[in-house]
This record gives sequence, C-alpha cells and structure tokens, in this order.
Amino acid sequence: MENYLHTRNFKTILLLPLFLFGAVASWADSTIKGKVTDEKGKPIRGASVYIENTIDGGTTDSLGVFKFSTSEKGRQTIITTDVGHETAGKPIEINGDIDDIVLKMKSANHSLEQVTITAGSFEASNDKDKTVLKPLDIVTTAGANADVVKAIQTLPGTQQTGTDNGLFVRGGDASEAAIVVDEMIVQNAFISGPPGVTTRSRFGAFQFQGVSFSSGGYSARYGQALSSVLELQSLDLPDKSTVNLGLNMAGVYASGTKLWKNSSIDGGVNYNNLSPFYGLASSNFKFYDVPTGGGANVRYVWKPNKNGILKIAANGTYSISGIALPNPYAYDTVSTDAYLRNMGDTINYKTTDQNFYSNLSYRQMFGTKYSLYTAASFSYNKTNFDLGIIPINRDDNREQFRIEGKDYFNSRLNLLAGIELQHFGVSKSFNDTFNQSFTETQSAAYLELEWSPVKWLAFRPGLRFENSALLNESALAPRFSMAIKTSDYSQVSLAGGIFYQDADYAYLLAGFKPQFQEAIHYIANWQWNKDDRTLRIEGYYKDYAHLILENYLYPQSFDPNLYRIILPGTETVNNSGHGYAEGLELFWRDKKSIKNLDYWISYSYIDTKRLYANYLYEATPTFIADHNLNLVGKYFIDKWQTNISATYTFATGRPYFNPAHIDANNFLSDKTPDFQNLAVTFAYLHTFGKWFTVFYLSVDNITNQHNIFGYRYSYDGLTRYPIVPALYRSVFLGVNMSLTQFKKDEL
Amino acid sequence: MKKFILIATALISFTSIHAQDFKASLEKTFTAFDTSWDLQKKVDQSNKLALIAKKWDKEWSAHYYVAFSNAMLSFLEKDENKRDAYLDEADKEKDEAVHLLGKENDETYVLAAMIANGRLAVKPASRFQKYGKIFDDDLDKAKEMNPNNPRIYLLIGNSKFYKPKMFGGGKKPALPYYEKAAELYAKENVTDITIPHWGKNQNEFHLQECKKEDKE
Repeated sequence: MENYLHTRNFKTILLLPLFLFGAVASWADSTIKGKVTDEKGKPIRGASVYIENTIDGGTTDSLGVFKFSTSEKGRQTIITTDVGHETAGKPIEINGDIDDIVLKMKSANHSLEQVTITAGSFEASNDKDKTVLKPLDIVTTAGANADVVKAIQTLPGTQQTGTDNGLFVRGGDASEAAIVVDEMIVQNAFISGPPGVTTRSRFGAFQFQGVSFSSGGYSARYGQALSSVLELQSLDLPDKSTVNLGLNMAGVYASGTKLWKNSSIDGGVNYNNLSPFYGLASSNFKFYDVPTGGGANVRYVWKPNKNGILKIAANGTYSISGIALPNPYAYDTVSTDAYLRNMGDTINYKTTDQNFYSNLSYRQMFGTKYSLYTAASFSYNKTNFDLGIIPINRDDNREQFRIEGKDYFNSRLNLLAGIELQHFGVSKSFNDTFNQSFTETQSAAYLELEWSPVKWLAFRPGLRFENSALLNESALAPRFSMAIKTSDYSQVSLAGGIFYQDADYAYLLAGFKPQFQEAIHYIANWQWNKDDRTLRIEGYYKDYAHLILENYLYPQSFDPNLYRIILPGTETVNNSGHGYAEGLELFWRDKKSIKNLDYWISYSYIDTKRLYANYLYEATPTFIADHNLNLVGKYFIDKWQTNISATYTFATGRPYFNPAHIDANNFLSDKTPDFQNLAVTFAYLHTFGKWFTVFYLSVDNITNQHNIFGYRYSYDGLTRYPIVPALYRSVFLGVNMSLTQFKKDEL
Repeated sequence: MKKFILIATALISFTSIHAQDFKASLEKTFTAFDTSWDLQKKVDQSNKLALIAKKWDKEWSAHYYVAFSNAMLSFLEKDENKRDAYLDEADKEKDEAVHLLGKENDETYVLAAMIANGRLAVKPASRFQKYGKIFDDDLDKAKEMNPNNPRIYLLIGNSKFYKPKMFGGGKKPALPYYEKAAELYAKENVTDITIPHWGKNQNEFHLQECKKEDKE
C-alpha cells in the first residue's frame, strides 16, 4: 500500500511539472521570432508577419527580423505580406515560444509584368512609366529646339541632316519614312523651304501625348513606308485651362486652352520672322527675303462618355522666304543652259508656301470587349518657287480615311482589323507652260493579332493588303513581331515583315507607273531595363528589292542634284534597283546614377549599298555616315532653377560624287570630313505671380565647326564648292510664359 | 415574440461589443501610427491596421485607414519602386473602402487626391501632368460634397509647400491654405474614429513652418 502510494505520488510528482507547464502555456502568450528574406536570402524590411485569421503580428526590422506574441495555440499558419513581394506563409505548431522561423518571399514587381515588344521601336508616352523617352525629354533635348523630328534624330538608326529635311532611317532616304498623326499620314511634315536649307517640322512636342518612332518592323496598321514610321498621338482632353505666350528670335505666339467638364477648345496664332535669328548668326547663304510667316490652329475635343473621345483639329500656315542659292551652272564651260549659266554665281530662289491640315477622329471603347477608332483627314498644300524668273508651282492635296476595330477576346488575346483609304494628288508646273501631275488612290486592309499566352511571351502577327489604283497593283504584306522575357529586367524581341511603297513622287509626276518598291526587315533586339537605366542592343538586316532605277535614253553621266526634274522624254524607269542595309545599334540611358543628371548615348553602325535612282553602280548613298554617335545630357541645378542640356553629335564622313570617279570601283567612293556638332541649351525657370516662365538660350554648333555635307562640281568638273548648312554657329533666345490658375480665390 | 426580442437583444449587444472592440483596436492603432515619427514604428502600425481590416473585413473605415497609412508611408519611403508599391496597396484598399461604402464621399476623394499626390512625388518631372490633374479633380469633387472639409486645404497647402519655388510653390503661397484648414479644424469636433478626421497636427506643423518664413 505504502509502496503503491509512493508509486502514485512519484508519478504525480513526475507529471506535475508537465501539468503545471501546460497550464501556464495555456494562458500565457507565446513569443514568435524569426526572419523574412527574399529568394536570395537578403532581409526584407517592413514586412508584416502574423498568424492567419488573427490580429497577432509584427513587422520586420532592417535585418528582416520579426518578433511578436500571440495567445493562439496548436496548428496555425504564419503569413508574411509586403508591398512589392508575393505573400508567403507556412504552417507552424505553437506550443510555446518559437524563435527560428524563416520565411522566404518572392519579388512581385517584375516577374508579374507583361513583356512588351520593343524590336524596332522607341516609344515616348506620358501615360506609361516604362517608356524610353517622354515627350518632355524631347522638348529639353539641346539642339532640337522642341522639334519632335529633330529630337528623334538623337536616337539610333537615324542619320544627321544638315541640308535636307526628313528622317533618314537605316539606309533609307527621307521619302521612305512616314510621319503619322493620329494614324493619319501627314503629307507635308516640314515647312517648305529652299533646297539645301533644313526647316522645322510642323510639330511641337507639347501637342502630343505619345510619340512612337519605329525604325523598322512596324505594325500592319501602316504601309507605304520602306523604312520607318514616326507615329504621333495628339493630346486627349487637356489637363487644365491655360494661356500661353511666347517670344523668341524667330517670332511671337499666343495660344490658349479652355477646358470644360467633358470638352475643350484650344487655339493659337503665331507670327514668325527669322530676321533676329539670321541677323545674329553669320549665314552661309544670303537671305534677300528673310523667312517670315504665320499660322493659326484650332482644336475641339469632346468626351461624350467615359470611354469615347472625339477630336477635330484644323491648322493653317503661310510662309515666305527668299534666298540666293549658289548657281550650280555658274562655272560651266560646257554649254548646258546658257540662261542659267549667265545668271551669275547665285540664283535668287523665292519660296511661298501655304498649308492647310485638318483631322477628325473618334475613338470609343464598348465595355471591355470592343473598341472602335475612325479618323478622316484632309490636307492641302500650295508652294510657289521662283527660280530666278522661272516660276515653279506645286500643289498637293490628300484625303484619307481609316476605320478599325479591336476585339479583346480576353486580356491575353485581341484582334485588330481595319481599312484605310488614301487619295492624293500632286501637280507641278514649270514656267506656267510645262505641267506634270498624278493622282493616286491607295486602299488597304489589315489584320493584327496580339497574343500573350503567358506573361513572359508575346506574339504579334499581322497581315496587310495594299492596292494602288495608279500603279494598278496589289500586294500582301505579312508582318510579325514577338518578345520573350529573359529575366526580371531583360527581354529579347524579334520583328520583321515585308513593306511596299510607291515610287518617289518625282517619278509619278513624270508619268511613270513602275511597280511597288519592296523592303524586307529582320530585326533582333535585346533590352535591359532597371531602375531608370536602359540598355538596348539591336541588330538588323534589310533587303531592298524592286527599287526604281532610271535608264537614260542618251548617254549621260550621274547628276547628283536631288532636286533634278525627271523628264519622261529623256529616260525610262524600271524596278531593277536593289540594295541592302545591315547594322548594329546601341542605346544606353541612365537617369539614376547622378542626381538631377539624365543622359543617353546612342550609337549606330551601318553598312548599306544600293543601286537605285540614277546611280551608275551599287554604292553607299550620299546621305549615309557609317558611324553615328549622339551624347545627350541634361542636368538640373536646383539652386539656379536652371536646366542645362547638351547634345554632342559625331558622324563619320559621307560619300559624295566626284565626276572624275565614275567607274564601278570608285563611284561615290570619296568621303567628306567627319561631322561634329555640340549644342547647348540653358533654361531658367521662374514663376512671376501666377505666370510660370521659362527663359531659354540655346547655342547650336558652339565650336563653329564647318561641317561639309558633300561637294557640288561644276558641269565640266573643274570647279567644286562644298555643300554646307545655312548656318554654322547659331544662337537662339526666347521666353515662354504660361498661366494655368484662373480661379480668383479657391479659399 | 419574446424569442425574437431575446435574439434581437443578443444580436445588438453582440454587434455593439463587436463594434467597441473594433473601434478600440482601430483607434489605438491609428493613433499610434499618427503620433509616431519613427518609420519602423509607422510601418508596424500600418501592418497592424491591415490586420484589423482583414479581421473586420466589412468595415469601410478599416480599409480607409489602411489606404491612408500606405499613402503616408509612400511619402516617407526612399526607394521609388517601394513607394509605388505602397501606393498600389493604397489604391486597392481605397477602392475596397468605396466599394463597402457603396459610393464616394468627400473623404474618399481627399484620400484619392492624396494618393495621386504620392504618385506625383515619386517622379515629379514625368508625372506632374497626369497626377497633378487627378489631384486637382479629386479635390474639386471633395469640395463639391463638403467645402468645409479641412483636409482639402491641408492637401492643397502641402502640394504648394513642397512644390519648388520656380513652379510657383513655397511657403508663402502655401500659408493661406494652412490657415483656412486650421480654421476648419477648429470647428471639427468629431471623436468617432470611424469618421476620418486626421490632419490637425500635420496642419499645425506646416502652419508654424510657413510663419517662420514670414518673419524672415
């Protein structure tokens, strides 16, 4: 008995601590400790750690360590959440304090992001954060003077221009690049000027909310451009009502925007007179009539409902200029045109230009399934050139219409279908006696599928049907692009397709009706993007076929004059021209490394040859520099309220025609000296009362480099003079004031 | 009938106990968040607010405060990606609050404006256009609903206070807005935590900062 009791007591004594412990545990809180890290074992700070379905939890410190107490017992789930990471958790058994929990979280930021197709295209948008360029970046690029096209020329794939207008992209000449506003082709993207003098494009950066520059492999939505499409998307409803006034060395302007709840009207007027600008610079040409002009524009935007928008815009400009051009026939000893030869060293060249452009578009989203876009535009341009006393008149007009719909089957698959109609005519008369003209109607239909089966993979196949009424020809142009995400921050994109284009207008004006010219693009691109740093490497191969080649009926040497008149009586043309372009391009942009400094470097290498136009042999064209380098930097000095930006451009020499070299092995083999340009812009920002004011001073070609774009030889080949830009160093000064606050007292 | 009364009473007392428990937790946690100057403590309290909103999932004010605290944290955080992530969270929770409320009210518009201001502050140069407009529009809507909400003027004051001088910002233009807000805060006598009434201390702090400038 005693023994038994003893045994019993012993047992009780033995069990007592257990019971006691259990009892304590049942009413005391347990302390839970542990660590939260990312996949690589790096601690995560500020993560929330808690027991599921309770409010017992804690937060991790800078070492990823958390600690909290809970009254919960038994089987529980511990959860950790953090902004920027995927929620993680695991089951735990709580029987008391725990101090060795390790939780791992995956980064949520990048792995979840949709891959985007980037091959061949640079996009600038206000709405998207990840784009390479913003419209504001364009405005602040030194040397661009807020001209969209000029700023685009700091991107890879483009050639520098100093004496010709337009975008020369990847071996293509200016006629191969289309400029598009709200999906409508702009016929006269540049203000007309005399030959050899570059003029501004008609577009300022602030008119657009999106700019997309494609240097190849572009969407089936567009055609009739062998090289490139620069797509501009006009602003939707403006942010606020504004009044904007400006004065600079090229003129004065005033504009205003009135915003109502769902609609707005904006308009502006400007008067240009380049006297102060040319007065300060020493011009290489004599302007006997300094460029002057004026313009007015008006636009109405209406949002009839949340997902619909109507835009109507009209724009008219007038400009006039007179320049004394070097007379290409002045030193001729061989008789060509006695009249021209005897005119002297220079010929007076007067340009009068009238331009009207209008555009109407409507976009509507129906639920989340369908969207519709339709647009129509009309443009008219009339230019009179007076070459000495010979008047040359050029008229053109263009009417176009587009309608397209998109069906979003789901968030990963959508189909775009559209129709495009373009009708345009150009007529040219010389001396009021000799006329050339043509009228063309192009119709096209296109389909494009966007399919992203998983977030890291996207395909965009497209098909475009094109018909030309003038050439009586149809063609089918397939397009394809795709992108694969290769890591959290990098991706590979591919793009390609077949592109068709009518012959240059000069041939159509002469009455020739050759077949479509053709280009096939193959593009591969690798892009890395992290925290405001971007690196792009792109390689391409472009195959040109069916280019226009001229055949002279009489023996003739090469005439390098780009403005020569094509005459059907002296030559025929065919589609036997061909060529290729291949190249490698680099782009690096860094906004992060140095505070307030944003810079980009773009480099392009190109190898291209073509046999086209009046070329005697296959050769690298005169607008091609093999190596192009742009360094663009912008630095903001807070204390001075000043933005300083600088752009340095370097290009190797370009080929020019030497009449002594007309054999297969030396045709266009001579090269100009290298091109260099340094432009600097200072912008000082200040608010006077309610007027936000920017004073700007820009100096182009600060080192006064005498860049040469080629040589022009006299007809007998004995004398030559360099082809130079209108200005070397130039200074531009201006001020812009804007007012956005109209409410007298919002207090 | 008796049975019904019994059940009803039981239900009412249950819900009121529930409500008290909820309000007490919310008040304690939000006050701790609002009065703490230490980032780590603020994050901790914000995380607690999120747990409260998980537990009392149907309370719009719980989600409102989670949105508010995340928006606030975005201003204190330095890492740009993280700032945006806080604002994503704030957006999500604000939407949930509006959903539970069944409509927008002046406080949800004020909160939306604060989130827009947070977005702008991450990358002012590239975002001022888009988010500046959203900020203005949301505050206009809030003002239409309740022109006496002091937080409208506090936020306008803040946006002016932190805007660089060259763009028309600074202490001087901000001052009248803080003064107006102070006037309205003085009249605000809400004590119920489920009716948002934050910002008085913040306003007072900025008001004093602006006045310092005036003396100089």
